[in-house]
Amino acid sequence: MDTIVCLKQVVDPELPQWDFAIDPATKRQVRMGKPLVISTYDENALELALQLKEKTGGKVTALTLGPQGEVKDAVRLALAMGADEAVVIDDPQSPQRLAADKASVLAAAIKRIGRFDLVLTGCESADWVERAMAPFLAEALGAACVTFISRAESRDGALSVRRTSEEGFQTVDVRLPAVLSVTSDEAIRPRLPKVKDIMAAMRKPVANWTRADLGAEDAGGAKGVEVKDVSIPERTTKVEFLEGEPAEQAEALVARLRALKIL
Amino acid sequence: MSITLLRGAIVLLMLTVAAGVSARKLWRVYRLIRLGDGPVPLQPIGRRLSHLVIEVIGHTKVFRRFSSGLLHLFIFWGFLVLLSTIIQVFGEAFVPGWTLPVIGREPWFVLLQDVFIVLVLIGVAMALYLRLVVRPWRLVTQDQFGAYLILGFITGIMTSLLLSRATGIALGHAGWAGGAIVSRAVAGWFEGISTPVIRGVFEAAWWVHIGIVLYFLTWIPEGKHLHLITLGPNVYFQKARPRGALAAVDIETAERLGASRAEDFTWKDNLDVFACMECGRCTEVCPASNTGKELDPRRLHTDLRKQLTAVGAQLLAEVPPDEIKRPALVGEVFSEAFLWQCLSCGACVEECPAGNDHIDKIVGMRRHLVMEEARLPENMEQALRSMEARGHPFRGAAVTRTAWTAGVQVKRLDQGATAEWLLWVGCAAALNERNHPSMRALVSLLHAAGMDFGILGDAEVCTGDPARRIGNEYLFQTMAKQNIATLGRFGVRRIVTICPHCYNTFKNEYPQFGGQYEVWHHTQLLARLLEEGRLRPNGSLRTAVTFHDPCYLGRHNGEYDAPRRVLGAIPGISTVEMAQCRDKAFCCGAGGGLYWFEDRTGERVSHARTRHVAATGAQIVATACPFCTLMLEDAAAATNATARPVDIAELLAQSMGPGA
Ligand code: SF4
Ligand code: SF4
Repeated sequence: MDTIVCLKQVVDPELPQWDFAIDPATKRQVRMGKPLVISTYDENALELALQLKEKTGGKVTALTLGPQGEVKDAVRLALAMGADEAVVIDDPQSPQRLAADKASVLAAAIKRIGRFDLVLTGCESADWVERAMAPFLAEALGAACVTFISRAESRDGALSVRRTSEEGFQTVDVRLPAVLSVTSDEAIRPRLPKVKDIMAAMRKPVANWTRADLGAEDAGGAKGVEVKDVSIPERTTKVEFLEGEPAEQAEALVARLRALKIL
Repeated sequence: MSITLLRGAIVLLMLTVAAGVSARKLWRVYRLIRLGDGPVPLQPIGRRLSHLVIEVIGHTKVFRRFSSGLLHLFIFWGFLVLLSTIIQVFGEAFVPGWTLPVIGREPWFVLLQDVFIVLVLIGVAMALYLRLVVRPWRLVTQDQFGAYLILGFITGIMTSLLLSRATGIALGHAGWAGGAIVSRAVAGWFEGISTPVIRGVFEAAWWVHIGIVLYFLTWIPEGKHLHLITLGPNVYFQKARPRGALAAVDIETAERLGASRAEDFTWKDNLDVFACMECGRCTEVCPASNTGKELDPRRLHTDLRKQLTAVGAQLLAEVPPDEIKRPALVGEVFSEAFLWQCLSCGACVEECPAGNDHIDKIVGMRRHLVMEEARLPENMEQALRSMEARGHPFRGAAVTRTAWTAGVQVKRLDQGATAEWLLWVGCAAALNERNHPSMRALVSLLHAAGMDFGILGDAEVCTGDPARRIGNEYLFQTMAKQNIATLGRFGVRRIVTICPHCYNTFKNEYPQFGGQYEVWHHTQLLARLLEEGRLRPNGSLRTAVTFHDPCYLGRHNGEYDAPRRVLGAIPGISTVEMAQCRDKAFCCGAGGGLYWFEDRTGERVSHARTRHVAATGAQIVATACPFCTLMLEDAAAATNATARPVDIAELLAQSMGPGA
């Protein structure tokens, strides 16, 4: 099964809260000087792709869109974990773009890569949480799409996946080619590369393309979606003292908590 | 054929057989040792010889247990002195009454021999008392049979020697006996006994003596008694690199990373296992063993010896690799828990009378687990991933690297400032709020002393130390090289740091990759500033303090005094030492990467340490390491202990009065 995994590099979502800043000019998170990591669910998607490859064979290609200078670590990690090759689409503007805009470029790249049975993405990115990439890609590629999958099993050329929904789990048989967005599962724990894999990764092929190579010239401005404003939610703390004897305080406390709909 | 000739011929035959058997066994041990690779460091001869003299002849390590030391000293020196009598006894086989030329008949020498016969017997008696009455844990868990056998041999050799000397005197053919007061006294017992009987006793004692000595000779190359031969070379060849430095691996060329088979260790590691006398001192001091964990540094050596002997025999017999019968060294002989419980605290290394290095072997096997198999405890893995992604091992840290500088005046080299000294903060101090007061105190002290210093701010990245101890040499080297480049870019030559782990890495490990700096621990610099009168504490603290030695400042770098000098300079402080202090200090539980993984088996190491603190009655436990502060704080909170940790810098700053 040949799989293409889309990986997005984001500012480390585990940075301390007060290290989070928004650039008012671009209305985007400040990236300068912050550690970048592969978005959490994208790493899960890669792990799932590698597990499928271990069972059914085939090839795993890591695909990423971003400012070329910034994505080296992500690409190297993906190759060290076990991806066979990587494609980088250089786009210095990518951190400003949203899913709708990027999907067309990624789809063009996937078509250029050619053969694939599966395209995997994370179910949501750790920064924008749009949850839209997989459907956009599926539409552009004319492939089937299942979102929020946590397990996948291949059976005679077809794929059976487990989807997490609000009601519980759904088991879905998917025709290939398909685009799947991956959530988390205890069986999906992104592997730690062994040192010999890290060394081997240095010799694996990485293709560097530009948007122009894909015929996706930058039209400027966002497609379909526009960000009007962003802000960091403010957290306030209020302290109330309840008067009286302990028994009265307890009663008052219960009443307050009920009023606040906590109880 | 004359009796003398016949006797000479028999003894010669016995000697040849015994020496042959012994040599064959030794040759085998030598070949097993040489299955390992690694350099043979002959230089510097002077320093190595002086170590040999001090540690072996002087018994410095053995004397860390006084009575064991004394009894062993009697037996060991007795062995050296009485080698002369053994040679003489063999000489007598050929020339009756023969003694060593020149000194053999000197009264003082003869006296010396007599005195040592008695001292060795006293030593044996002490050993029996220790084993039968005192029964320390480390001895009762030993191979007891072998130990009693050897004591029996020694007793046999000594009594037969004494008897043959005494009967020789009684028979009147000892013209040398002037100084032999003990032998003469024993000879007195034979007065009035008929000459043939005495002659019979003499002959019997003489043959028994030769017999035991020769049997003993064939027996030495086995088990723990081999240390008679291996210990000298083991001490001579002890590693030249600083105690706190682990050996670098050439990742690019290494065929296998780390050790997972008996033959993967260096020849020196192999010599270690053959020099181990199973004394158990390492295990007796090991904080992991002491808190009920599986780790047992003595077993590390005895089991490695068994494996090397069994697997080595097959290798030497050229059994094809896939037909060699062996249990998995990592996972079966030593469980993963065993390997992950080591704090790399160095207590075992400090104690070992054979000069063995336990940490090298454990880290060797960890290297295999981490780099070849990518198998390690979850939290350690997270710490390493965090080092890669964020440049620090504290996943989920709630503060940024420079948060502690809020409201503090400190130059930022990463923002263009220049300074004579780099103040290296280290991740443990920077990324844990609990340590921020220590950092602020240190900065205020350095300002008060008029020091010109700055920090790297956001350009500071973990030294890589946790990765190296956990076994990810690759990540360590990557980070070391990156840091050396950064320090070069900022022209850093002098470093002062609050973290003993960073201190050790800069001082002892970065030189392996070309990074040479003048490195100071903050307690060393503060002691110096106090002595130069650049810091003058005036306020009195009036409190009882005990000092917890960080392993990487104390044992690994030999600095026990600077922190104590600083404490001594603070007016009003009274210091009480813990029973386990200085080179006998007990780890806080964070070393060896175990800050990120604590085995829940048995008692927590940090809780045990808190008990040691409590036993002193001190109100404060002074620390000199941000990891120790974190561990002891948590442990004190969890065990409701009264004494809380405070970094020495903070104590000193408090005594500087307002405005300091
Ligand atoms: S270094 Fe410390 S924890 Fe490790 S084996 Fe030695 S004494 Fe035990
Ligand atoms: S390793 Fe050293 S301290 Fe430990 S049992 Fe052997 S000789 Fe004794």
